[in-house]
Amino acid sequence: MNELREKAKELLLNNTVKLIIGYANGNGHNRTYPFIARNAADANRLVFNEYCVNNLAVYLTRKEFKGKGIIGIVAKGCDVKAIIQLIQENQINKDEVYIIGMNCNGAVNQLDNSFEKTTLAQKCINCTVRTPALYHALIGTTKDIEEPADTLGEKIKEVEKLNADSRWDFWEAQFEKCIKCYACRQVCPLCYCEQCIVDKTVPRWIESSAHTRGNFSWNIIRAFHLSGRCIGCGECERVCPMDIPLSMLNRKMSIIAKKEFDYSAGVSLDSPTLVGTYNMKDRQDFIK
Amino acid sequence: MDEKLITLNNLKIFAEELLKANYTLILQDKQGIRWEKISNSDELHISSKLKPTKASFKEFVFSKTEPIFYFNNKNDGVELIDSNLSAEKMVFFGSKPCDAKSINIMSKVFNWDYKDNFFNTKAENSIVIGMLCEYRDEFCFCTSVNLSPVSSDGSDLFLIPTDENNFAIRIVTEKGREFIQPFLKLFAEGNPETTDQIFKKINLPEKGFESEVIRSWIGNNFEHKYFERAGEICLGCGQCAFVCPVCHCFDIVDEECGYSCGRRMKNWDACQFSLFTLHGSGHNPRHNQTQRYRQRISHKFKYYVDKFDEILCTGCGRCSRGCPVGIDIGQIAKEVHSLAANKV
Ligand code: SF4
Ligand code: SF4
Ligand code: SF4
Ligand code: SF4
Ligand code: SF4
Repeated sequence: MNELREKAKELLLNNTVKLIIGYANGNGHNRTYPFIARNAADANRLVFNEYCVNNLAVYLTRKEFKGKGIIGIVAKGCDVKAIIQLIQENQINKDEVYIIGMNCNGAVNQLDNSFEKTTLAQKCINCTVRTPALYHALIGTTKDIEEPADTLGEKIKEVEKLNADSRWDFWEAQFEKCIKCYACRQVCPLCYCEQCIVDKTVPRWIESSAHTRGNFSWNIIRAFHLSGRCIGCGECERVCPMDIPLSMLNRKMSIIAKKEFDYSAGVSLDSPTLVGTYNMKDRQDFIK
Repeated sequence: MDEKLITLNNLKIFAEELLKANYTLILQDKQGIRWEKISNSDELHISSKLKPTKASFKEFVFSKTEPIFYFNNKNDGVELIDSNLSAEKMVFFGSKPCDAKSINIMSKVFNWDYKDNFFNTKAENSIVIGMLCEYRDEFCFCTSVNLSPVSSDGSDLFLIPTDENNFAIRIVTEKGREFIQPFLKLFAEGNPETTDQIFKKINLPEKGFESEVIRSWIGNNFEHKYFERAGEICLGCGQCAFVCPVCHCFDIVDEECGYSCGRRMKNWDACQFSLFTLHGSGHNPRHNQTQRYRQRISHKFKYYVDKFDEILCTGCGRCSRGCPVGIDIGQIAKEVHSLAANKV
């Protein structure tokens, strides 16, 4: 913690960064919440621990911060994936972000849980970026953590085994619950469109009503728009008040991107984005 | 106040009889997500210790989406067809005081000038069986908004567990009395003094702020920079408004069913969306999240109080438990209270 605070102070005092997007403690409980540090006193409030689940990269594209000078950000490996993806999609300038990379030992799946093997967040199982792939400063050390089995992969396989009708029923029961609060979209670092397609009214492409049909349109369009772009931070599923297993959709799409195009989002600044590039050698046979 | 006693066994029979008499029974679901209808009295699970579900039961009286009328383009003009009003008789079983109060609070705005028959019909067809609450966490603050875990305000009947297998039930409203009449054989006579003793032993969430102090501070500090702190991290989603038992904003949109027909829908809307106040001209009077967040707090603790003499918040803590970025409305009210006390 001290290492982080000292670094933050240094960066703020010597004007390397304008502000630092980090985490501070909640109100007398384990939770942490996003916190903007602007001076040395603020820097002393920064924390980093297993309750820092938020992907703060979501703030980098917001009007309040974007283009306002060099922004410091406290970022885990998974958050850095989002930053890499944002740089590649030309949403942020690589020289306008200073990444305080955190060596990470996993995060909790529910904020009111204590940190144990069984409460490790889904995204942390088989994580390959516990040391971030890109950073300007690196803080902390990684240690071995006990990981439970990857149940998300199993769930996807189970649903894949169903026939089309039963798969439809499965998703219908899930999407029926959606209340269109758009928390999944707002928390997603890669849902940065200034005007989301669901907010377009002339013409209205996606019904805004939260009935099953409107919910199907919404959840499927979002899955499509994140295909080959989602970096798997799991934030959308975490914040969904109706517990819709959004990660199943996102993981499935990333499995396809990997299989068909050998592409994973947010892995390296050197690999161009999947949907932003055209390659004569791309396979076409999946278009039916 | 009239009070009866009922065993857990008889409570199940009560539920069974209600189902037979065509009542829809609505309970907190087992996953803690939302309220759901049960079709069998075996599914009756009620407990004073349950955590408030992520979403309130608002959805049943103020639907997340509903048609208000249908239209049909005909050769000789447009035909309008009324939407049917629901005749379903609903019973909210085992509602916490912070949920039970919600219908009464929303009722004020839905009957302010225009009488909203969609809401009113459902509210009239509802019976709220409230229940004493023994759940506590750092987000609960009912005692700061004129409620309490033992408050029967908003309930028609109020359940009080006396031990594991027995309950006392208070008859709170005339509506509750009429409702329970046909089933009285399942109940024994109770004594309110015994339950008053139970009430006294219930530990209450600490009172964190005076709502009146918040109201007057907001009135004098509209431009205060305090709101920026939540405003700059708030993501502008609808989680807080949609899970809230008393947030009641809606949008009206048309939905086509083909080339010549359609329906007009009433859908939940939320003041934290940037689209909420966007004008057709492109101008947005609330152009940043700080202004939108200020609206949320002001509507709850000032405007609604000014207009309807009711706080637009029951202190259930749902919005805070579910906020993606940990914005805690109870904590914010507390901080505003101390700002006011320090006169800054
Ligand atoms: S996914 Fe990896 S980097 Fe992200 S919180 Fe989990 S262990 Fe840390
Ligand atoms: S879609 Fe979900 S998992 Fe993927 S980047 Fe967005 S918030 Fe993270
Ligand atoms: S967070 Fe969940 S309920 Fe809200 S819009 Fe997204 S899928 Fe629907
Ligand atoms: S739930 Fe939280 S982030 Fe979303 S609008 Fe409400 S306060 Fe803002
Ligand atoms: S504002 Fe929050 S705490 Fe108050 S009633 Fe609504 S959800 Fe509950």
